Amino acid sequence: MPDLGTLLRVVDYSKCMGCETCEVVCEFVHELGPFIRLYELWGGVKRPISCFHCSKAPCIEACPTGAMRRDPQGAVYVEFSRCIGCMACLHACPFGIPELSEVTRTSVKCDLCRDLRGDGLTPACVAMCPSRAIVLGQPRAVGDEVKRRALAKVVQLSLGESG
Amino acid sequence: MRFTFMCRERPGASHYRVAVVGAGPAGLSATGYLVCRGYEVDIYEKLPIPGGMMSFAIPRYRIPLDSIMEGVEELRDRFGVKLYTSTKVVCGERHDEGDELVGSSADLLKLVEGYNAVLIATGTWRSRRLGIPGDDAKNVVSALEFLLDLHREELGLGGGHARGFKKVVVIGGGLSAIDAAEESLLKGASEVYLVYRRTIREAPAGEYEVRRLIRLGVNWVELAAPQSVVVENGAARGVVFQRMKLGEPDESGRPRPVPIPGSEFMVEADLVVAAVGEIPTPPIASDCGGLGKYVGKDGRILVDKGLRVPGTNIFAAGDVVTGPSKIGRAVRQGLLAAKEVDKLLSLRALVAR
Repeated sequence: MPDLGTLLRVVDYSKCMGCETCEVVCEFVHELGPFIRLYELWGGVKRPISCFHCSKAPCIEACPTGAMRRDPQGAVYVEFSRCIGCMACLHACPFGIPELSEVTRTSVKCDLCRDLRGDGLTPACVAMCPSRAIVLGQPRAVGDEVKRRALAKVVQLSLGESG
Repeated sequence: MRFTFMCRERPGASHYRVAVVGAGPAGLSATGYLVCRGYEVDIYEKLPIPGGMMSFAIPRYRIPLDSIMEGVEELRDRFGVKLYTSTKVVCGERHDEGDELVGSSADLLKLVEGYNAVLIATGTWRSRRLGIPGDDAKNVVSALEFLLDLHREELGLGGGHARGFKKVVVIGGGLSAIDAAEESLLKGASEVYLVYRRTIREAPAGEYEVRRLIRLGVNWVELAAPQSVVVENGAARGVVFQRMKLGEPDESGRPRPVPIPGSEFMVEADLVVAAVGEIPTPPIASDCGGLGKYVGKDGRILVDKGLRVPGTNIFAAGDVVTGPSKIGRAVRQGLLAAKEVDKLLSLRALVAR
């Protein structure tokens, strides 16, 4: 299997307990953030959502100025100097991810912590999640990890063992 | 949890030293920030294993122990953080839950003298009592005592007193109540009752968590408040509850539970778990050279906007400031307080030059 050279981030909602750590550390490292946010859904269940960094990103297609870009590791980010704040990216995004910043008057969104990655570090939300619910890596590895977790649950049920 | 998520290594060592009291989410996050800013940090933790409530109260299926330990080991091995475990920092005397695992104690005022700054993140290690007749029976425990015991057993630190019960009554509607009820079930109780004085809609744990437990087999009883514990030979045999109805909103904005006279009923139990709230446990248990006035009636440390005890080099963060909360909020406070410590000490370094 060839190396796709892109990062994939998946939130494993079966592990997430809604503790808000991801949102907190994201806001701490990004002045304009947070770019991963929890919303209350029903019955007190709060879970985070952030950019999926789609491999065929509609926001990049829709951007009229070329401000919405992808970095070499696959993270979709906004080049502020080119962004005119038209929010075509928001209209294009099926998940409503890009936000208009009142500070910069541009679109802002998760960039998988470009600055931290530049220093060889991991995005803050991934690094700090207590329950290891945020999985990041090469798509193949992420796929394997998520499937392994699901499999463990199925097998646990059928064997009646706690793993 | 990589508490040093902001840096790869400690930048050119500062000669300023900071003591962090309490190795829970607030204390460890603060430590991560401080070492990334070059400070030398010592952590004092009353329990033998760091992590605070994450290691000793929250069920393991929510947070794996490795997730905490990998971050702690990194702080210790790669960032030179000294960790004094089983060491309780206090000024004055007070026995809190978990203190049976303390090996030695340290005086808060000595730390205040010996370090350039002290950051207190000691959490909420006392539990509210039911405050009803019989609540001192030997098999009436707090959710924290119950969960702590199970975690001690798992960690090889004694414990093992909380299993073997068949009929468990858990009183409360928060996440501690949920965790205690679920753990009871997992540890083999045949009947578990979860009793709350309002309805499922007001339960602080949220309707989803309560419904999940009902699906697992927990008996949910709402609109009932405990009146007395039925005690025989020093041991609880059950709890008498009184039915409630919802009244006008109280100061918390939730409808007040109003007792219905003559509606008492008993639930049998061989273990009663009171999950009716935890109380902050600051390391200030006396006047403590004037620090006593910065502890509120509810035990919280009264800090200024910069999370600092006014006029001192003491900062505080996490549940000991906010009362029981979520991990993320403790992390936020830890990071913000650490930033304030950095501000103060950077200014001092500038002035000293």
